[in-house]
Amino acid sequence: MKKLSKLLLTLSFALSITSSAFAVTVASWGGAYTESQKLGYGDPTAKKLGVEINWVDYSGGLSEIKAQKEAGAIVWDIIDVFAMDTITGCDEGLFVEFDFDKDFPAAPDGTPASKDFFTSMPSKCAVGNILYSWNYAYNTNNVKGTPKTIKDFFNTKKFPGKRAIYKSALTNLEIALAADGIKPGKGGAKIYKALETEKGVQRAMDKIKKLCTDPKGGCVFWSAGAQPPELLMSGEVVMATGWNGRFFNATVGEGAPIKQVWDGQGLDYEYFVLVKGGPDEANAKKALAEMTSTEGLAGSAKYIAYAPWRKSSIEVMAKGEPWYKDGKTNMVPHMPTAPENTKNYFLVDPIFWADNGTELGEKWEAMKAGL
Amino acid sequence: MSSETKKILTTDGIPLEESLKKAEKKNKLKAFLLVCPLLLFLIITYVFPIGDMLFRSIDDRMVTDMLPKTYKAMEKWDGKDLPDEEVFKAFYLDYKKLVEEKTFGKLATQLNYEKNGFKSILKKLKRKMKKFEEGNYKEQIMGVHKRWANVEYWRALKRRAPAYSYSKYLKGVDMYENEDGKIVQVPEDRRVHKILWVRTVEVAFFVTVLCFLMAYPIAHLLATLPMKYSNLLMICVLLPFWTSLLVRTASWMILLQQQGIVNDFFVWIGLVSDENRPEMMYNKTGTYVAMTQILLPFMVLPLYSVMKTISPSLMRAGKSLGGTPFVAFWKVYFPLTIPGIGAGCLLVFILAIGYYITPALVGGASGTLISNQIAFHMKSTLDWSFASAMGLMLLTGVLAIYWVYNKLVGVDNIKLG
Repeated sequence: MKKLSKLLLTLSFALSITSSAFAVTVASWGGAYTESQKLGYGDPTAKKLGVEINWVDYSGGLSEIKAQKEAGAIVWDIIDVFAMDTITGCDEGLFVEFDFDKDFPAAPDGTPASKDFFTSMPSKCAVGNILYSWNYAYNTNNVKGTPKTIKDFFNTKKFPGKRAIYKSALTNLEIALAADGIKPGKGGAKIYKALETEKGVQRAMDKIKKLCTDPKGGCVFWSAGAQPPELLMSGEVVMATGWNGRFFNATVGEGAPIKQVWDGQGLDYEYFVLVKGGPDEANAKKALAEMTSTEGLAGSAKYIAYAPWRKSSIEVMAKGEPWYKDGKTNMVPHMPTAPENTKNYFLVDPIFWADNGTELGEKWEAMKAGL
Repeated sequence: MSSETKKILTTDGIPLEESLKKAEKKNKLKAFLLVCPLLLFLIITYVFPIGDMLFRSIDDRMVTDMLPKTYKAMEKWDGKDLPDEEVFKAFYLDYKKLVEEKTFGKLATQLNYEKNGFKSILKKLKRKMKKFEEGNYKEQIMGVHKRWANVEYWRALKRRAPAYSYSKYLKGVDMYENEDGKIVQVPEDRRVHKILWVRTVEVAFFVTVLCFLMAYPIAHLLATLPMKYSNLLMICVLLPFWTSLLVRTASWMILLQQQGIVNDFFVWIGLVSDENRPEMMYNKTGTYVAMTQILLPFMVLPLYSVMKTISPSLMRAGKSLGGTPFVAFWKVYFPLTIPGIGAGCLLVFILAIGYYITPALVGGASGTLISNQIAFHMKSTLDWSFASAMGLMLLTGVLAIYWVYNKLVGVDNIKLG
């Protein structure tokens, strides 16, 4: 009897080790975002495949995974990253390259995965996860009239008061040009064409500089996503650029008098990548396909106002309205990819920023230092 | 005479001298073994990483090894006009090999650090290269993208030729070596590092001065008050010290912003009108206020521990010898506190010079310091060699200050308690 119990103990111990060895580890940004991923598609996938999925928080960038690889001890299987990081990481050989239509399931109606996703991937290592928007919002109590366009964000005569803008050049140069009269064109191609030239960059910088030095305007630079709604609610600024999910939480979640403007919004993306030589690459690949399926991606939009990458997911949501977890809010109108919201938009171009990010970053800092 | 001197022997017949030496050797070995863990710890956590950083910042063998033929062909090129066919052909052959080995991405990343815009034209070249015909590579490569016909890109390529280079250090102060081998400044609209260095030192210096001015009276009060009051005061100093840095920074934001509590109070008592609320946040004022408050305990504590040891009778003696209170303070008390001032100032200055969360949150447009730039290159661009170079420059700066301090005051004067 004693022997048997000992054996059982050893066995269960061994089992617990093996089962934990077959866990897939996903690194993501934490907070409400990771929560939406875990509830939306993490847990269902884990249940379906019988694989444990662990979520760990990280603060972005590739330095950690690069350090793990250099030390020869990779502990992450899947990482939630920005577009630029998928390009850099793919070039550096950190991530697995996909055979897109083979590795990811087709939409329910049979559309292959590569056609079902909103746009093409920036690198062979990336699979889309959510789209979010860099739009702007205002406090309805502090603004007289209704700002409707991106031009209004820069119009300090009609809407006096300070603005909050992102601390880096990313998306600021784009909206400056859009407000200065350049039509974005398909996916913002014309804006990026203008930014390829010295003149275009100067024009964008001047526009921002004018706004920030205007005695009726002025700028506050935000760095954390929680800041824009906070700055609006405290009355520190009258308008702020920010991420739509944060504005959504402030209005729907907390009932704040904040209204979003979708004109001239920049669509940006989050991607998943599969780490080359991760602890459980095979299972991670299966889990990734499941999580980014039509149902999977639609699941996360139940908990957060970011749009799923697959067009077919939006259809699933529209049929299931009210889709939000509170059971009374329709989610599709809050999606950055909803037809109502994409009348005038640009797609943030990761390749442009991978190419020119450092140089424009330096110019931007030099401009800021002169304010 | 000497031959007649008998050696003193110990009881077991070994000469005393030898026996002593043996014992001493044993002791030395013991002492060494005792400090051995510490020594290893220092080497592993200090000497080795810094050495690695130094090496990373000058090591550029990767690019050199990736383009051997190109750099050989480039030796004859003067860097004035576009290189000739030979260089283009050599580059084509090198790059083709990299594409086959699937390591071309690393080259693209590295070259993009040197000159922005390389990444996409290298990728485009990779796609178009499959259809290249033999001969006249110059025309074919230049046909891929107009940047390939821009001599600037070829100059940038040549700058990466040496296996070891100090170019990252030059970049850290907004300089580079041009095609004539002269060290020149980068274009004016890109000179950002110098601004950041100056700003970092300026902020650290003024924060140190402010901390000193505020901490000195507090520390004096702490040291001279009766125990029951000084304990309470000590808690007041330590309590914020134990509170999270981010919480304290965020509280300052709430207090000092334009619609914040302090401004509301000013408006309420009629000091300023509602339309003209002063800006105390998201500029340098905010940075100074928040950083001074956060670093204050690091000045108070060393000052306090030194002042505690100064006997109150010394001041009395100074006064009884005819000095005014000020003279007694200046001639007797103040010189005795110098070791504490030195320790406090060094501590605060060194902490302030590497600070970045607080200035990034409350500093607004003038908020970024050099450490933010280092973090940017560590995390976003992955240009670790440039980050290492700037990190080492910062470290050298701190060491230089330490050296100056040692010359002026003497390091053995520092007292933390």
